[in-house]
Amino acid sequence: MTLPSLNLLAQSILSGIFLGGMYGLIGLGLGLSWGLLRQINLAHFGYVFLSGYLCYQMTQYWGMDPLLALLILPPIFFGIGVVQQWALARFRITPFNSLLVTFGLTVMIESLIQWIWTADFRKMQTHYNELKFSVGGIFVPIPELFTLLLAVGLAFAIWAAMRFTDLGKAMRAMAEDAPIAAAFGINERGLSLLLSGLCVALAAVAGICFAVIFTLTPTQIFSWVGVVFAAVMLGGLGSALGPLVAGIIIGVSEAIAMVLFAPSWAPIVSFSLLIMMLLFRPGRA
Amino acid sequence: MLEVRDLRVGYGAAPALWDVNINVAGGELVCVVGPNGAGKTTLINALAGLNRATSGSIRLGGQDITRLASHLFCQAGIAIVPESRRLFTSMTVMENLELGSFLPGPRSHRARTLEQVCTLFPPVREKLNMPAGSLSGGQQQMVAIGRALMAQPKLLLLDEPSLGLAPSIVMDMFDAIRRINADGLSVLLVEQNVSMAMNLASRAYVLEEGRIVMEGDAKDLLQSPEVQKAYLGLD
Ligand SMILES: Nc1ncnc2c1ncn2[C@@H]1O[C@H](COP(=O)(O)OP(=O)(O)OP(=O)(O)O)[C@@H](O)[C@H]1O
Ligand SMILES: [Mg+2]
Repeated sequence: MTLPSLNLLAQSILSGIFLGGMYGLIGLGLGLSWGLLRQINLAHFGYVFLSGYLCYQMTQYWGMDPLLALLILPPIFFGIGVVQQWALARFRITPFNSLLVTFGLTVMIESLIQWIWTADFRKMQTHYNELKFSVGGIFVPIPELFTLLLAVGLAFAIWAAMRFTDLGKAMRAMAEDAPIAAAFGINERGLSLLLSGLCVALAAVAGICFAVIFTLTPTQIFSWVGVVFAAVMLGGLGSALGPLVAGIIIGVSEAIAMVLFAPSWAPIVSFSLLIMMLLFRPGRA
Repeated sequence: MLEVRDLRVGYGAAPALWDVNINVAGGELVCVVGPNGAGKTTLINALAGLNRATSGSIRLGGQDITRLASHLFCQAGIAIVPESRRLFTSMTVMENLELGSFLPGPRSHRARTLEQVCTLFPPVREKLNMPAGSLSGGQQQMVAIGRALMAQPKLLLLDEPSLGLAPSIVMDMFDAIRRINADGLSVLLVEQNVSMAMNLASRAYVLEEGRIVMEGDAKDLLQSPEVQKAYLGLD
């Protein structure tokens, strides 16, 4: 093992933070629906990629700016989330079965993407790709920074809404005891539709950021499941800030492991963290 | 105020309540007593929309609420203090009380009702920012009653508010219920503590195996040989 230069280490840690921000952004909606709706929505990953590909289509073929996609896609995906929740409730899908159903949905989305955009690698070319600045010899890419700030902003906004608004408190109450919440006038069905819409809209936001930063390929969908699950479970189900904090911890640990050992060590780090947390965490389920 | 006609409620195929008839007049305090498993919780939960009626009707102030969606019972004027309290334990006392006044009507009077609840239960004022689950049993019961009062109901449902509390706190709890009723709120109280409940109530019903077997003036019922024998262990 050779010691890396400080500069390389700092650059790696920074990219670990950015990658962690991406984990957190993808995990945000996943964890909210898991913790508050009791649904493990695997289709979340499908939606992230679908939104990424749509953003690719809008920018590369229709000449739109990714920021415009950020205005257009989340409301559409909100609608998709509402429809999905309506269907899951309509057919009384249990939480465990929701895992199977949404897994199937993800496979279908993957096929749809392959059919429309083929299995080729797709890299969005926009003027944002080249934007970066440097601080003390460390390069800071603007799209990554933007993603991180967006993740932090959204996580804080949702945290504040859950904590300080009546609607947010109603969602937490519903997650704890839905029948009693209903007895005080909280419309479980309506709130669930709203929450599911919000989570899928968050998937759309993550997908757009993803498409700007990473190369898209449909088979990649499932390779993000493990590490984002780790971030969500480490951060706490239903927590708004937890997945982001945990995502950044994982991202930085991975980056350090890659610099000190080898890139293949990265997944080992995130899952060791997760398993240790599950073994040693006091109490909470 | 409340008129329950031929109410039948079941879990799956087996009915737990058979053709129950109950009335609560405006401003009245009525109690329902009965042994374990008689169906008291089934009854009170049906009145709050937590259980669905299979047949019969529930009317509140002339409005038929039997088939309303669960979350509309509160708007119709019913608030419940459920068995074993069922507070939102991970949330603060203040948040529990705010959730009681979730609907727009009660929400607009939130500050005033909160003040009334804190006046009725002084310990609650000290604990507003604590997680509800960290409170003692008696304090949690106060929060549960407070949460229901925050909804500004026409009818307050109480399911065994004395359950698991120390005797001295039980006295306080019954006194608070008496004061709530004295302020004009109609109350339906379910209790196993038969003598205390009947001393408080103006009328009483005795529920056994899902059926009303006795009803009448609470003081008369308390003196009746059947109640003395079955519930107070006197001969
Ligand atoms: N969720 C349920 N599913 C099936 N049966 C139930 C359920 N809840 C209650 N029961 C049954 O319905 C009957 C009435 O129960 P209920 O809880 O209403 O009685 P209770 O009078 O409130 O008793 P306690 O004094 O113990 O609270 C009992 O026979 C009980 O076993
Ligand atoms: Mg009971």
